[in-house]
Amino acid sequence: MSLLFGNRESAAGAQQRQKLAWYRRALMVPVHHLQQAVASLGELWRNPFASLLTMAVLGLSLTLPSALYVLVKNTSAISGEWQQASQMSLFLRKDLDEQTRQTLKTQWELDPRIDEVTLITKEQGLAEFRQRSGFGETLDYLENNPLPDVLLVIPAESFRAPEKAESLLAELEGAREVEFGKLDVQWLERLQALLNLAKDILGGLGLLLCLSVVLIVGNTIRLNILSQREAIVVMKLVGATNAFIQRPFLYTGVWYGFVGGILAWLATALLIWWVESSVLTVTELYDTQFQLAGLSFNEMLFVWLIAVVLGLAGSYLAVRRHIRSIEPQ
Amino acid sequence: MIRFEQVSKTYPGGHQALSHVDFHIKPGEMAFLTGHSGAGKSTLLKLISIMERPTAGRVLINGHDLRKIKSSQVPFVRRDIGMIFQDHRLLMDKSVFDNVALPLIIEGYSVQEARKRVLAALEKVGLADKYRHYPQMLSGGEQQRVGIARAIVNKPPLLLADEPTGNLDPKLSMEIIRLFESFNKVGVAVLIATHDLGLIARLKYRTLTLKEGRLINDGLEEEPLA
Repeated sequence: MSLLFGNRESAAGAQQRQKLAWYRRALMVPVHHLQQAVASLGELWRNPFASLLTMAVLGLSLTLPSALYVLVKNTSAISGEWQQASQMSLFLRKDLDEQTRQTLKTQWELDPRIDEVTLITKEQGLAEFRQRSGFGETLDYLENNPLPDVLLVIPAESFRAPEKAESLLAELEGAREVEFGKLDVQWLERLQALLNLAKDILGGLGLLLCLSVVLIVGNTIRLNILSQREAIVVMKLVGATNAFIQRPFLYTGVWYGFVGGILAWLATALLIWWVESSVLTVTELYDTQFQLAGLSFNEMLFVWLIAVVLGLAGSYLAVRRHIRSIEPQ
Repeated sequence: MIRFEQVSKTYPGGHQALSHVDFHIKPGEMAFLTGHSGAGKSTLLKLISIMERPTAGRVLINGHDLRKIKSSQVPFVRRDIGMIFQDHRLLMDKSVFDNVALPLIIEGYSVQEARKRVLAALEKVGLADKYRHYPQMLSGGEQQRVGIARAIVNKPPLLLADEPTGNLDPKLSMEIIRLFESFNKVGVAVLIATHDLGLIARLKYRTLTLKEGRLINDGLEEEPLA
């Protein structure tokens, strides 16, 4: 509405100005946004090479963190599986007789925290070692069996988490008959630590790459704005608000993110496909069935959202600074 | 309509473009603003369209003190003022239609709603058949008329023109002035800055003459300045 001429409709000279009903104006807001979104897409289409470059930079920058994320996700899944199967070995003192061993075994079997107890006698142990190690004949030279009897304990489901299993082990170790116990979690803990390191790196790297995306998009939009300087001046002269002028540039940023996000999906999928065969080879060597999981639908949406938000943030930075500074002279 | 009260403008660096300018242009009046280049004509127009702010004094439009207009409100002031420039200031990559429709689109009209008004404005300047053209395809006079159509398309109560005939021959210049007269006849206040004194002399309109930032004459231009 007119600021200076409150009665502009009836003001001298201004003929009856057709007023737009409020609901039509309200309806025009989304329509206008849509029009401008499409218009800025058209603008990008007219200069596809430069825009594609920016989109590719955006997409590829997001590919690295999302690929790393997929890696961490899969590794976590594997280590989770292994953690579930954690078992502990308790090496018994050598001076125990058969009955004491059986009593201990039965006693532990009754413990609700323990799922299963298997006794591996030193003879069984030696036989297994002979068979597996390939030292078969060398072992014949031993005068007596150096191996202790071992009780293999598999904790109950609720006691398989590393800390709980650890405390259970400490308690079992306290038994008089036990020489020492070993929980096969040390390497798991190392893996966990490595995973945490990878997660931290992922976080830091992701943050840095996101920041660089914002700056790159901001710079591209800044150049766009400067190349449109004349048009912006003209629009300001005929009464366009900053909001009106900046809208197409903001949409350009959104489109960068939109397409860049799709590129990030494609590149991540390509990367996963690339490493999948070698991962399969590795897991086959470990005799495990393993399916490399890519980005889930929600994760893809998240990557897309991040891309769009980064594009918008970059263009907002540029727009805020530069649209204001361009004034008709 | 436009009132200047002891308006002075000093640019950063110390150049005094206007000093103690006082005048009043009534609603529906048509006036010329003249003076040598550098006399302050452009500065005066810029103060009206708030491209510059006065260092001292007040500028009022329709009784509203422009000092009270915040920079976020400036676009809305400009929608009430039709501005015409010597260099047309058209968007070269947009068609004539889009150029003229720009002020309406900015105000929130859809293209369909703007169409009738745009064609009517182009009709008034005699370019209705060229709405599909691009500015480069038009002559200088035609481009100027596109600029005029853009200035009047939202029917502002006030028209400002900065050297609208600067690049045109006398015959075309007179056509442009006649166009302004026709808007003035329906009540639009018109202020035209020009140094084309011959043109002014042939028309008996009020003329404000600036010299080195001072208003030295306000009335009918009797004889061309030496």
